Amino acid sequence: MKELPPLGSDATVRLSRQGGVTAMLSRPREIEFAQYNPDEREQICSLLKGCLPLTSSESGQGDQRFYQIEVRFRQDDRDDQLMLQVPEDRAPGELVRLWDKGLVS
Amino acid sequence: MPRQGPYPGFIPPYILHRLIDHGSEWQRSRALNTLTHVRQLLPNPGLASVMGAAAENTAPGTLQRHIYDAQHLTVLPGALKRVEGQRASGDAAVDEAYDALGATHDFFWQVYGRDSIDNRGLALAGTVHYGEGYDNAFWNGAQMVFGDGDGEVFQRFTRSLDVVAHELAHGITESEAGLVYRNQSGALNESVSDVFGILTKQYVLKQAAEQADWLIGADLLTDKIKGKGLRSMSHPGTAYDDPVLGKDPQPAHMRDFVVTQDDNGGVHLNSGIPNRAFYLAAIALGGSAWVQAGQIWYDTLCDKRLDNDADFHAFATLTVEHARERFGIAQGKAVQKAWAGVGVDLA
Repeated sequence: MKELPPLGSDATVRLSRQGGVTAMLSRPREIEFAQYNPDEREQICSLLKGCLPLTSSESGQGDQRFYQIEVRFRQDDRDDQLMLQVPEDRAPGELVRLWDKGLVS
Repeated sequence: MPRQGPYPGFIPPYILHRLIDHGSEWQRSRALNTLTHVRQLLPNPGLASVMGAAAENTAPGTLQRHIYDAQHLTVLPGALKRVEGQRASGDAAVDEAYDALGATHDFFWQVYGRDSIDNRGLALAGTVHYGEGYDNAFWNGAQMVFGDGDGEVFQRFTRSLDVVAHELAHGITESEAGLVYRNQSGALNESVSDVFGILTKQYVLKQAAEQADWLIGADLLTDKIKGKGLRSMSHPGTAYDDPVLGKDPQPAHMRDFVVTQDDNGGVHLNSGIPNRAFYLAAIALGGSAWVQAGQIWYDTLCDKRLDNDADFHAFATLTVEHARERFGIAQGKAVQKAWAGVGVDLA
């Protein structure tokens, strides 16, 4: 299972709902950690950690939708990226809410 | 497969989805009550027992359908509404799913001698009214699922026969080549579903290749949307151009191949390339597209030499071989020329 690295204020998350017959409706949302306070960042990190065991390498098969989480961060003085795919039927409501409304509960 | 057991660490999403959609405490309470009610009153026999029993006791080619109603929840398969031989339910989505699955089964059996998804008479299960305003249809490895659409952009997904057939064809691909749903093999997986989806429609309408619209999902868009359908197989990239949906991004040629991390490497985008190759082949071969072009694509899909991570070139090579073997040298050349027309050069 992938691990979530420590995320500083320079981290960004691109969150989109992908796949399916209507794949054009992905509505990607860019989340810049700098725009959130420390408590909110902690909540987002907690949410992302909670998603780690829900990911699947077979997401999307047969037009099933999934949430794609692209975390961009800086580690050891270089840019890095972590990509996760969470099948729609496993997606936590908090993740859907973050994608749909941009809200951290 | 339908998900079993608890969702680790989180409130179940099928409840939260409704919360997000509706927001109020009353609706939250209602959703929870409804879910509990459904679970208490409708203990589900499970797809495996229903479908397995049907498959064991029927002659080859016998159609067995089970249509369920998710009642706007996202629990599968839902409440059983119509089984084989029962009269129309009066629910448009239930009856459209029943008819479309029947037409697709009939197409594969009559034209290619294929007995359902697994070629062993697997009973067909479909669930309608999935979720609230759900904008999708899918195959989950065990059954087909159809949303009602949001009503603003998309109408219910059972309206388009080719979309229902597209989802069933995902099951066939899974049981044959098992094309990996990523990058070029994923685009082929999508394209194969479009091919057999459109062929099912043309077969039912008795249309020759030259007469057909070659549109996937022509009945799905509401009249508020500027578009003809989800995808155009004849002219990928021209299905819609709308303020809400944007412009159809499908490429029609390898020079426009989309390299992306999204959509599993653009499986719903780059499928436009093999889709147009099929269209060009069907037009060149003439007549009913399912007779020669469709047979060639079907032979290729069932060819054990087709690797599950095949790229366009590998798939195209096999289509040319099958065209020559089954129909002759001229047909092989026509198929090769069709692939060259989209930038897949086999020379």
